[in-house]
Amino acid sequence: MKILLSMNGVTGGYGDADILQDVSIQVDDKEIVVIVGPNGAGKSTAMKAVFGLLKIRGGSIIFDDDRITGWAPNRIVQRGICYVPQVDNIFREMSIHENLEMGAFLKKGDLSAAYDRVYELFPDLKERRKTLAGALSGGQRQMVAMGRALMLDPKLLLLDEPTAGLSPRYMEQIFQICRDVRDTGVAILLVEQHAKQALAFADRGYVLAAGQNRHEGTGAHLLADREVAEMFLGG
Amino acid sequence: MSILDFLNFYLIPGVVLGSIYALGAVGITLIFAILRYAHLAHGDLATLGAFLAFAVVTGFGLSPLAALPIAMILTAGVAVGIDKVFYEHLRERPKIVTVMASLGIALMVRSVVQVVWGVDAESYVRGIVRPENYFGLRIKDREIYTVVFMLALVGGLQLFLARSKWGKAMRAMSDNPNLALLSGIDNKKVVILTWVIAGGLCAASGVFLGINTELKSMMGWHMLLPMFAGAILGGVGRVEGAVLGGLIVGIAEELSVLVLPSEYKAAMAFAILLFMLLVRPTGLLRGKVL
Repeated sequence: MKILLSMNGVTGGYGDADILQDVSIQVDDKEIVVIVGPNGAGKSTAMKAVFGLLKIRGGSIIFDDDRITGWAPNRIVQRGICYVPQVDNIFREMSIHENLEMGAFLKKGDLSAAYDRVYELFPDLKERRKTLAGALSGGQRQMVAMGRALMLDPKLLLLDEPTAGLSPRYMEQIFQICRDVRDTGVAILLVEQHAKQALAFADRGYVLAAGQNRHEGTGAHLLADREVAEMFLGG
Repeated sequence: MSILDFLNFYLIPGVVLGSIYALGAVGITLIFAILRYAHLAHGDLATLGAFLAFAVVTGFGLSPLAALPIAMILTAGVAVGIDKVFYEHLRERPKIVTVMASLGIALMVRSVVQVVWGVDAESYVRGIVRPENYFGLRIKDREIYTVVFMLALVGGLQLFLARSKWGKAMRAMSDNPNLALLSGIDNKKVVILTWVIAGGLCAASGVFLGINTELKSMMGWHMLLPMFAGAILGGVGRVEGAVLGGLIVGIAEELSVLVLPSEYKAAMAFAILLFMLLVRPTGLLRGKVL
């Protein structure tokens, strides 16, 4: 399997303090990889590092054979990585359709194929395309946010806690959508608070603690690990 | 007082004045929506627009209406230039720094107007215009086209914001600036576009004030408070709200003469502003909270 993204020993933070210490994460083509860990472990920070939102002081980030360390977010978007933040990830006062249109802002020419693809993944959204995104429920907002990010046909999708605050039913639905998205050829790197469910559904997982790699392996392997279970998964 | 007197002497002048305020209030609301600060040089930019049109009228013998588009383009250019030279460097600083800077710009722009065109009152066309009589309603032509132009300009702006790619980008940036950046929207271009639109509308409001009254170097400064009152009354960040707010402030100012001495006309805007900020700071149409 081809390596799509590799963070190699990345050290960095927002200001002067380093939040990440020597963090390494790898995502292969068409793979779902989850980052779990306790609060303040640097999970979201690791993801932001990929998207160029962090001051990186050591290590490198290679995406699809390009060294993207230090690139600006809009260049990274164009290169094929799209990012869905945890909060404020939709344009509330714009319709669902306009949200998708803004996602494809950098794309020239006909957008109908991109719209079709997203609406096929999220049939619920197609029916309500004229509705203001701010009027939707939490789960549907998350779908709009993911749909917006998928408009540019990214190779890698970054999701920051996509199931935060959602009911278990929606959580399962979001995970299923992630699998559907993966099946269209997009790799996914996501951060999850619900570690048990996320590890069960992802191909591979990384456990971060205090800004450092702690464990890694397949979801099943990590779930079976005693130390992981005790540390982060509540026994 | 008959109903016709009420319409002729209070309501119609109020709608005309309100239309002039509305043009400025729309710019103020757009600047707040995109850049998140109160732009205090807005009135004096309107003065500049009015005098640029005056220069075209006297220099080339054009009518004020023909000079309007030229003045709008020139003022839009000046607005973009002011942003590049002054405000752009302050973008990362607390917003109050830019607000204070805009007060400085207001004084500078006014001084330029005073140096170039003097401090005496001027007018585009000499002589007295008699109003036409429409079934007892006495309306001057210039009053009709002030209102019609305001509606056309704001209607065009609304269409641009609703339909065009860059109009939507402006709304996206006002809605969620971080996500707009993550989507690859070029915020610098959106800012330039905002100044072009705000500057053009500013000039239109100045020119129409000049057409309906006279040109003075303080004309725009005196409009600043009513324009802000209109923007806040309608709900900051809402174009249709700014139009509604501007009209209400204009009408309220004219109606205030019924109960207050006319010297207190200008206090009306202040009273509306104070009342709205105390009672409903999101404005009539639920804008952003200041």
